[in-house]
Amino acid sequence: MARKMRQYAKDVPFSLTSMMDMMTIILVFMIKNIDAEGQLVTQAENLILPVSTSKVQPKEVSLTVVVDANYVLVDNAKIITTEEVLAQQELLLTKVDSVLQERRKAEQEHALAAGLPADEAGNIVVQIDKNIPYDAMYKVMATCGFAGYTNIAFAVMMKNGGEE
Amino acid sequence: MAKEVKPPKDPEEPDLLPAMGLFTILIPMLLSMTAFQKLAIVEVTLPERSMMNMTNDAPPEPDQQALNLSLAITPEYLVIGARGGFQPNVYFKEMWTFRCKSDAKLITYSPEEVKAAVDAGHGPKCQDGKEMDKEKYLYEIETIELWALEKTSEEDPGRVRWALYSSQGENVPDSAFVNGNNEFIAMTGEGPGGLKAPAGLKKPGAGTALATLTPNSARKLKPEDAAKNIIYPLSAYDLIAKDLIAIHTQFIDLEDVDNIIVVANDDTQFDKIISLMDRAKSAGFAKVNLAKLGGG
Repeated sequence: MARKMRQYAKDVPFSLTSMMDMMTIILVFMIKNIDAEGQLVTQAENLILPVSTSKVQPKEVSLTVVVDANYVLVDNAKIITTEEVLAQQELLLTKVDSVLQERRKAEQEHALAAGLPADEAGNIVVQIDKNIPYDAMYKVMATCGFAGYTNIAFAVMMKNGGEE
Repeated sequence: MAKEVKPPKDPEEPDLLPAMGLFTILIPMLLSMTAFQKLAIVEVTLPERSMMNMTNDAPPEPDQQALNLSLAITPEYLVIGARGGFQPNVYFKEMWTFRCKSDAKLITYSPEEVKAAVDAGHGPKCQDGKEMDKEKYLYEIETIELWALEKTSEEDPGRVRWALYSSQGENVPDSAFVNGNNEFIAMTGEGPGGLKAPAGLKKPGAGTALATLTPNSARKLKPEDAAKNIIYPLSAYDLIAKDLIAIHTQFIDLEDVDNIIVVANDDTQFDKIISLMDRAKSAGFAKVNLAKLGGG
């Protein structure tokens, strides 16, 4: 006996209702999490920032120094190993200092060219892994200060994702 | 003649294609603007370069009229100093919670337990029996907690104090509750080291009036909130926060009342420094400076 062929409808309407449901859920989730101001600081790789109750947002884009388990980086360029930082006795990290001095000089020239005061304290954002010892943090902080970046801000993760 | 009843038509599905087009544009745009982990900053203002001392010269004499407040952390206790004197030490038991890479589960050890394992040539053990990297285990610490200890003398190893906390998740403490006398609802733990929650410390029921250290936080517990509260080891950070709030209120007229120096030794993890800075800023100390224990 010949097998009966299944009959298909000629025009099957494409049902978008379930897709709309999914899109609506995603849209509501996105609107809840939207940050209209944007992010002036982005978390560096290979480190975990400490959690803080601070809700202070950076006002402008600043030079970033990162201290993770392996390296100290200035604007994503590896400058010195964290091991070397911990091993040295002196407070000043000369390699980091020379890079920061260059950046500071460039910032001051840029400010002068734009007719802005060049002698104001420099702003810097320091991202430090939460488990880095205070010794390394203190040396980096002192070096930043010595290079003219005395307005130091530590990057942290907001507690509960910033929600009340 | 009887009117012919028409059979009902199938309802027509609305045309969703334009809405889909709109959604398809909106979702990538919102996705690019979404912040899943929000970052903030904690500010520290250093002295100007001309004022910085990069040598080991003795610091200048402190102003006798000023508060000169400092908050020091050692491996065993926290202590507040002002005008050359010190408040009683707030002793703590440090606990490290690791998130293992092998099973992504949390496991808590004291630093002594971790050091004993490392000295024996092993990394700290995960719940699945695998060991963490014994060189890099310190960077797998997820949370560092300082459990307040009740001590009768310097030699006493102390017993953990337990308190009533609001909760932000399953057994994750948020804010410690205080009673009408601004005292923590706390008791010393049972068993060796006080590591077992005291049976006498009960969770208050709905309708009980409670507050946290946050100003104007007095409230009557709602039934749904009362159920969420937990009994958890009292944090030494919370004890210090309460003292800092009291000091800031008491010396509000002094010129340097907003200044505090956080002092720590070389091995103190950055996480602890940020936790102390958080407590200081919440208590009203807007200008936080940092220094090393024993000078520097």
